[in-house]
Amino acid sequence: MTTTETETTTTPTIQKGYVGQNVPRKEDRRLVQGQGTFFDDVKRHGMGYVHFLRSPYAHARIASIDVSAALELPGVYGTLTGDEVAILTDPFFQIAAEPGANVRDYALAVGKVRYLGEAVVAVVAETRELARDASELVMVDYEPLDVVVDARKALEHDAPVLHEECGGNVSYSGVWEWGDVDKAFAEADHVVKISELHFDRFNSTPLETNGALVEYNRGTGQWTLICNNQFPGFAAIMMAPALRVGTNKLRMITQDIGGAFGNKITTHPQLVALCLLARKLGRAVQWTEWRTDFHQSMSHGNERWFLDTEVAVMADGTMTAFRTKALDDAGAYLRYEPLGGVIWSQVAPGMYGWRNLRLDFTQVMTNKAPCSPNRGYSRMQQLWFTERIVDVVAHELGFDRVELRKKNYVQPEQMPYETPNGCVYDSGDYPRALDVVLDLIGYDTVEERRKDAASRGKLLGFGIGSTLDSGTNNFGQSQLLNPELQFSGNNEVATAKLDFFGEIVVTLGTVPQGQGHETTASQIAADILGCDVDIIEVRAGHDDYWNSHAGFSGTYASQFAVTGLGAVKGAVEDLAHQMRTLASMVFQCSVDDIELAEGFARMKENHEAALPFMALGAIPNMNNAGFPIDPPPMNARFVFRPQFDVPDKEKKFGNLTLTYSMQIHACIVEVDPETGVYEIVDYAAVDDCGVRVNPKIVEGQVMGATAQAIGAAMFEVFAYDDDGNLLTPNFYDYHVPHTLDMPPLKTAAIESPSPFTSLGTKGMGEGGGGGIHCVSAALQDALMTSGRAIVTSSHNPYHRVWEMIRHPERSREKVEVVSK
Amino acid sequence: MLLREVSYARPSTVEEAVSLLTEHDGARALAGGQTLVNVMKQRAASPDVLVDLADLDDLRPITVSGTTLEIGAMATLASITRSSEVEVSRPILAATAATVADVQVRNRGTLGGNICVNDPTNHFPPLLVALGASMTIRSASGERVVTAEEFFVGVFETAVGEGDLLTRISIPAAGKGTGDGMAGVTLGAHGTYVANAAASVVDGTWRIALGCVGAVPHRATAVESALDGTDVDEAAVRSAVEGLGDTLDPPADVHASAEYRRSLAETSTVRAVLQAAEKARG
Amino acid sequence: MATTPVSEKVVRVSVNGTTYEYEVPTRRLLVHFLRDDLALTGTHIGCDTGSCGACTVHLNGVPVKSCAVLAVQADGAAVTTVEGLGDEELTPLQQSFSDHHALQCGYCTPGMLMSAAALLDENPSPSEEDVKVALQGNICRCTGYWNIVEAVVAAGKGVA
Repeated sequence: MTTTETETTTTPTIQKGYVGQNVPRKEDRRLVQGQGTFFDDVKRHGMGYVHFLRSPYAHARIASIDVSAALELPGVYGTLTGDEVAILTDPFFQIAAEPGANVRDYALAVGKVRYLGEAVVAVVAETRELARDASELVMVDYEPLDVVVDARKALEHDAPVLHEECGGNVSYSGVWEWGDVDKAFAEADHVVKISELHFDRFNSTPLETNGALVEYNRGTGQWTLICNNQFPGFAAIMMAPALRVGTNKLRMITQDIGGAFGNKITTHPQLVALCLLARKLGRAVQWTEWRTDFHQSMSHGNERWFLDTEVAVMADGTMTAFRTKALDDAGAYLRYEPLGGVIWSQVAPGMYGWRNLRLDFTQVMTNKAPCSPNRGYSRMQQLWFTERIVDVVAHELGFDRVELRKKNYVQPEQMPYETPNGCVYDSGDYPRALDVVLDLIGYDTVEERRKDAASRGKLLGFGIGSTLDSGTNNFGQSQLLNPELQFSGNNEVATAKLDFFGEIVVTLGTVPQGQGHETTASQIAADILGCDVDIIEVRAGHDDYWNSHAGFSGTYASQFAVTGLGAVKGAVEDLAHQMRTLASMVFQCSVDDIELAEGFARMKENHEAALPFMALGAIPNMNNAGFPIDPPPMNARFVFRPQFDVPDKEKKFGNLTLTYSMQIHACIVEVDPETGVYEIVDYAAVDDCGVRVNPKIVEGQVMGATAQAIGAAMFEVFAYDDDGNLLTPNFYDYHVPHTLDMPPLKTAAIESPSPFTSLGTKGMGEGGGGGIHCVSAALQDALMTSGRAIVTSSHNPYHRVWEMIRHPERSREKVEVVSK
Repeated sequence: MLLREVSYARPSTVEEAVSLLTEHDGARALAGGQTLVNVMKQRAASPDVLVDLADLDDLRPITVSGTTLEIGAMATLASITRSSEVEVSRPILAATAATVADVQVRNRGTLGGNICVNDPTNHFPPLLVALGASMTIRSASGERVVTAEEFFVGVFETAVGEGDLLTRISIPAAGKGTGDGMAGVTLGAHGTYVANAAASVVDGTWRIALGCVGAVPHRATAVESALDGTDVDEAAVRSAVEGLGDTLDPPADVHASAEYRRSLAETSTVRAVLQAAEKARG
Repeated sequence: MATTPVSEKVVRVSVNGTTYEYEVPTRRLLVHFLRDDLALTGTHIGCDTGSCGACTVHLNGVPVKSCAVLAVQADGAAVTTVEGLGDEELTPLQQSFSDHHALQCGYCTPGMLMSAAALLDENPSPSEEDVKVALQGNICRCTGYWNIVEAVVAAGKGVA
């Protein structure tokens, strides 16, 4: 069903032992036995179950709330309303500068609701069912207000305003311009204009929803949150000031998490509500988000218009400039936004060599669920945009789509390549990768397949989707949006110890949700310590009490292979040095005479002089007399910090990300011209993420990203009506791909090691939405003989394809070519 | 996701079941639960009493009686896919059942439960209308038989009223010269229908029913008349179906505009008819 | 004489070979009974419309979604959950999942295993298409299904 081939373009920078092998995953054993520990699996005696009563209106004033009837129901422990929250907490910190800075966001709606599904009252009861029953007895009086769901309408002067304190619906706007855009357009042989492109709203719907079990220790004022938040550093920064405590009073614990994909970052409002309830009621409280609540209220991916786009093209096909107006729809609150307003610029020119770019970015708030990171966060939108315009340029000017890409791609000899805004693409051979994927899908058979499809009444289309996955953020880019922010750089922490009886224990600050961190971390550790991978224990999950986390700890943004593994490498190398030092003390020789191999610390020249790990562990722990100098403790903590400067805020210039993985996807679709129904009949993807620590795990990420992108392209969208009702609030209407929906898939991998990372690895995992880009492209290709519609939306369900066939003029109206 | 309080009874005979349904206002029959339990989880409907039909073995069998295929209302969709009686008598029922949702749903979901919901996107209402099925309903006052058209009454409403219990669905066995077809567009493979049409020809006489365009299956009588007794080729079918969409008033939703549904209704009808015609030719 | 409807009932159900007698509210879903009352947390909940299959268990030997079954409907029945698939040793199917990287976060995995195990009971050497049909009711968001299908086919061929 899949085949995998690998090419290595340069010699890897690390000696491969376990690294590079498909070591079986340590996580698997417990998960296939149903012995994982997900937050809802944990119980506490006397705990209360929480149900959030949510707004049925997209925009309304809260006139009154009466919880008295709910409190009278036997088995109800208590409630929490926005009025209490407004007294007990301060509004959440806002990343935005003015006007977005004035948003007041709390754990529950205060005074007003701004999207359907917003949590208004929390009810806690003895059982899940009772909490649900009691919520129906809560009386909330709403005064509905006018609703705005279209970002373009949100900008109009008479639009309903969500946050009066902001004076309008704009949260952030800025002009991003580099090179000499006007000159490039003046000199262009062709200008291709596209009036409207739209990246649709969806997210990754991890199968496990959000939730937490929260306890409060009255004696110490300490909260413990057993949860599945994937970015505890961010959550703590948001929650602690709101709760008016230090971050040391919030202990976040996670173990197994049922997927996250970025959608489990901004749960701090609900977590604060739970903290308040645990303290108020004097008992542990537990909340599990309903699927419908997740769809209606949590972490939608950024929806973005690209308006009035123009692309400058020379006669030979060199694309020299583009300019566009990006209008980003952030939903009703800014929880991680407006960071989306800068993060796209990590990949501003996509994979192409444009040197002159202008993007006017405006972000508005609308009466829809708040946006926050979704797999491919903000880069996917920009990469879809660049792929779209390249395809439209080829379409309109008659260039071959493959040749146009190869000509305009950043070339391998330019690597490391500085983009117009100072980002550095570390390594990669894009034209070669394109050849690999074309070969994989059988590009030379496309025309023959097209004829065959035509004989069966189908329109065949072939499309390419090239994309980048930028990883390891420099959080200093936040200052490009708000110069007052005190965030910059990045970090991750790991500890490694050799315990009493020789156990090797590693802890991480990361928060895995299926990426196999325990396994890949142990591969790195075993290679350094010269021992069997099976004896390495990497503690499952995350726990603040391990003291192995820092402000940016978490698992998000395609960085583990650099930050997490970088931290592990640092900590284990430190431990290894301690082990060799201790052995040298015992054997009275120099540290350089000692090696770690085959599970021993031994003299290089005399393998008989060897100490097993147990012996080393015992000395500092239990048997440390007789040493003139302190024996090293067999305990190491390492903070990995990538080398970054704060970007130039004036020019919006600087290195925003350390590594750039790359994927190129290709697909073939067959369209039924009568119905618009289409099928992906063939699919191939090539991935280059530098050195692959565990190739099977990497491939798994590529596959998962592909499946989600196919879902987003064909089926998944968060569609709203004009009243702000979400029309796809659950898996019934929001169809995600099932087994029978999947096309055949071939994958291949290339390794272009990163020159910037200690292991040559690059973060990967998000993928960059390659599947969305190639399906858009394939559909446009299929419709060449049936009206030549251009694809202007990222989401192309059957009805949209049908419309493009029936009314191609509607999309053709959006494109214009002006040639010299 | 959590039901309101409800009372529950599990009778052992059809008579007991009818008694319970008659005695208790707001009592609902619980068949496979694949729709009802999920509806109750949403709290979109909260009957006071659930009458669990699981022990009513009399309602499970699939038999052939003369030239009629009798399917017990509690026959699961899985049992229909495996039934040799269905395969021999009216195979389209098995082929259709095999595309409903997934294995887990088919293991619990029953034909009776499926049609009693009368969800406009369900597979069986238009199919049973096209096949000319009839339904047997038992109540305290006895038994009555209604045609499929009489059975599907309105928005999520059937002829099964308070105190009634559907016991059996009867379908004429397919003889020579019979052909059945069903076509449509679903939301993903084996997903819910966005538009569908079922067509059946028996010795040159057509029955064509459309789902997804109204509260009840819609008989495309003009198309039937145009095709009755004629030699059916693609051109003739397309000609007969042309304009069908304009006679419909289908709903618009997130998956389809009214215009798109009208178009899909026509295309599905053409395809269902051509499938049936080919089957009839043997 | 008709039975009297009740809102609480003692259910007697065999789960993974152990018989339990337990009084439950008649409105309780089987999945909550398993997870909360019997502390068998291997069966998971991923949706609220009976769409995702994470809750799949065997009820009298056939795979069903335990979120669409009331606990009282399991009275007198035998239920198998993921915890009952094997013991200390992984079954060939479980081993095949690990060998083929057919799980990432592991949340859909118990449901997938239950559906796959039921298939293999009935069809010991399923084709790729057979496996896809059997797993159509189980959503996964991490893997894209390709490795899962491969793992089940391989388990069928005995090359786990």
